[in-house]
Amino acid sequence: MARSAALTALLVFCLCVPAWAAPSGGQAEADALLRRAADIMVTGDLKGAVAVYLQVPAPGPEGDEGQFASSRMQAARLEFAAGDYPAALNVVDELLAVYPDNIEAVRFRASVTDAMLPQWRRLLRDTVKFVPHLLKGSVMTLMLVFFTILVSPLGGLVIALGRISNFRPLSRACWFVIWLFRGTPLLLQLFFIYYGLPAIGITLRPVPAALIGLGLNYSAYLAEIIRSGILSIDRGQMEAAEAMGMTYWQAMRRVIIPQTYRVILPPVGNEFIALIKDTALVSTIAMVELMRTADQLFNASFNVTVLGLAAVIYLAFTTVFTFAFEWLEARVGAYEQR
Amino acid sequence: MHALLELRDIVKSFGGHRAVDHVSLALAPGEKTVIIGPSGSGKSTLLRAINFLETIDSGTILFDGREVGYRTVKGKLVLDKPKHICKLRTQIGMVFQHFHLFPHMTVLGNAMEGPVTVLGAPMDEARKVALSMLEKVGMADFAARYPASLSGGQKQRVAIARALAMQPRLMLFDEPTSALDPELVGEVFATIKQLADEGMTMIIVTHNMGFAREIADRVVFMENGSLLAQGAPDEFFGEHCRDPRIQSFIDRIF
Ligand SMILES: Nc1ncnc2c1ncn2[C@@H]1O[C@H](COP(=O)(O)OP(=O)(O)OP(=O)(O)O)[C@@H](O)[C@H]1O
Ligand SMILES: [Mg+2]
Repeated sequence: MARSAALTALLVFCLCVPAWAAPSGGQAEADALLRRAADIMVTGDLKGAVAVYLQVPAPGPEGDEGQFASSRMQAARLEFAAGDYPAALNVVDELLAVYPDNIEAVRFRASVTDAMLPQWRRLLRDTVKFVPHLLKGSVMTLMLVFFTILVSPLGGLVIALGRISNFRPLSRACWFVIWLFRGTPLLLQLFFIYYGLPAIGITLRPVPAALIGLGLNYSAYLAEIIRSGILSIDRGQMEAAEAMGMTYWQAMRRVIIPQTYRVILPPVGNEFIALIKDTALVSTIAMVELMRTADQLFNASFNVTVLGLAAVIYLAFTTVFTFAFEWLEARVGAYEQR
Repeated sequence: MHALLELRDIVKSFGGHRAVDHVSLALAPGEKTVIIGPSGSGKSTLLRAINFLETIDSGTILFDGREVGYRTVKGKLVLDKPKHICKLRTQIGMVFQHFHLFPHMTVLGNAMEGPVTVLGAPMDEARKVALSMLEKVGMADFAARYPASLSGGQKQRVAIARALAMQPRLMLFDEPTSALDPELVGEVFATIKQLADEGMTMIIVTHNMGFAREIADRVVFMENGSLLAQGAPDEFFGEHCRDPRIQSFIDRIF
């Protein structure tokens, strides 16, 4: 009894499965076409393969098992690879006419129309797409630059004056600061401030850490430039100032330091241009500025245009600085010509 | 009447070398002293010691009858606080061989700098004083110029005006015409002569014997850091000069 029931079940199963699993006549034909097209494609006859793919018929009202969609996608890809963009478009449109929501087809169509754009249009589109992000990153870059430009000349002046002071401990201490910050990579200093200081209980957020690192590093560099500027001024200037009753500080402020401007301006301009580029280093301590933004966009899109645009923005900044400093140099040194 | 400036036994060495060797000198108000002597004899060092650009090893400097500038600490001379030194310097004007004008300031700016920065004078007042001093040295027309555009003689006259703007009681000149082309010496000389005639007390170090003869109340001859001889110009430049070393120095100069 039980056995006959099992046999009946098996029989029903055997009868039904082929009907459910095996293709109907049209489906089998479509499968055959797909296989044939694939074989032709392997021989390198792409046009031939396309022709066969296109023979796969559109599905009837009961639909098919994806043969139509995959045949048209394959054909479209082949046309695209062969560089015939309009043909690829036609093929994919044929597919979309049947399945307007086929996501793969929609995406593919977008990339075909994209490829059909002239190069300058594509560049323009990428520019419009990426530049706002890059400019947003630039705001942080500029903030870092301006802060450092504000702080480092003052820091540099203090360190330079300390360095030429007759008070030994002070001059030694300033020498040490310069030695330390000029003698190690800025990248290492940033790492140390951001990742190292927490070990002794000082935890800084990225922005303060970056500002401190850049500020100290550039103060040390500027200190040496300012010091050399001060030393380049004839001793007679200090003596003349002191002889008329000025204190050391009055003489420094009124006579010596103003005369250093025209000497130190070119190297200081150099440092500031280096600074614009050095801000890229802070992207390593979790800060999002121009370089980091470009890096993120590039990793998401693999579009080299992003990198080019970032370069253009950096160049724009350094160009502004170059001209600003040329203009300043002409003014500050003018008294020597008049 | 006491001396405006008195130097007693001033000694100054550089390393082992004695640049000024027990020099004593007194200057009455209005007196003009010219110091002559061969190169390296310590003239500049002596002059610079008077306004503390050089610190002396021993000796006494009296200004207006008061000992000034140094304290004795453990038997050694130590320069006074900067505040006191600066105060003294405001009363002593100094003119350098190489002018040392402030190149980043206009002529007027140079002359105003002392009154404004050191004396704290109001701007308009300082400008008035500075302009009158530039007028005096004949440089008022150049007030807006920068030193780089002036001749040596003009620069030196501005330097004199700059010193005068502090209204000093004593003027020190260290070879004021040595860096000038010969044809420019006259204008600077005339300016100093005019100042002398107005009664300014001054010490002039120079190799120019014309200065000595025309301006000096007294000529001092210095050699190897010591004052070798001093006297009225006539005694120095007359036929009957006593000291053969001075005689030979003067002969060399002419
Ligand atoms: N700062 C210094 N350090 C070392 N030696 C110095 C210094 N200043 C002057 N001397 C030396 O002191 C001596 C006197 O120099 P000083 O300049 O006073 O001479 P001078 O009479 O003014 O000479 P000149 O006529 O050439 O100007 C010289 O031997 C000089 O080399
Ligand atoms: Mg000299």
